[in-house]
Amino acid sequence: MQHASPSAAGRLRLALFAGLAELAGTRSLEIPWDGGSVGDLRRAIVDARPAVAGLLDRSAVAIGGRYADDDVPVPAGADVAILPPVSGG
Amino acid sequence: MQGQGTEARMQQTHRGDRDHARPDADGALVRRPIDPQRLLAAVASPEAGANVLFLGTARGFTDGVETTGLEYEAHDSMATEALERLCTAAVDRFSLLACAVEHRLGRIAIGEAAVGIAASAPHRRAAFEAAEWLMERIKREVPIWKCEEWADGRRAWVHAEPAPRDGGAGHERGDGPVDPGARRSRGRRRRR
Repeated sequence: MQHASPSAAGRLRLALFAGLAELAGTRSLEIPWDGGSVGDLRRAIVDARPAVAGLLDRSAVAIGGRYADDDVPVPAGADVAILPPVSGG
Repeated sequence: MQGQGTEARMQQTHRGDRDHARPDADGALVRRPIDPQRLLAAVASPEAGANVLFLGTARGFTDGVETTGLEYEAHDSMATEALERLCTAAVDRFSLLACAVEHRLGRIAIGEAAVGIAASAPHRRAAFEAAEWLMERIKREVPIWKCEEWADGRRAWVHAEPAPRDGGAGHERGDGPVDPGARRSRGRRRRR
């Protein structure tokens, strides 16, 4: 996996890409995390990095390489990637 | 439904770092120039009457604004999986003999190819349509991102403007059963 470093207990490490990484100032964001859904995760990310709010709202969340809806739980130590709108080709 | 010859050639051009369940459908990320001859060789078949090659190249001017270069990045594992899935879907959907796609990552100079698609079929219509369909799907749903660099020194990642909560251009899933599990529930995605 591209994003495999384990998160410490109570923390979650997120892989960010492209403009989202630029806004957050990092490609690997670690946030406090005591469990919750993808929707909760979105709010936690905005708390940690308010600048990403607008683009984050248009971004997808993937857990273990699979797109995850807002009601999906995010387990501790999950491999989480935040994917802004794509622009390949 | 590819001939034995196609499979043999694919073995020769195989890059050796992945197993291909479908030797007639090959999608990959590369960090070197796109190789049109490799793509064409990958889809060659004695049954083919049409071999379509599409190259998407870095355009130097868009609406009068000069672009000096592009840079691409990807979620490697998800993008590779998506490219392979789309190639397989294209072979099935258009009854291709074979299909191969490469998307380049890193910095790309004006005029160089960022993406290459090759499709072979007994007749040309299927091959042309498959290449167009693949390009549309790649642009819409493969987790690859482009950064544009302009002549005035500015640079910016391209993230399509939102169609709020209703299918921002980035993550639409389109019309096929390519990855039904990938659909997000927040915001119904437009179908085209």
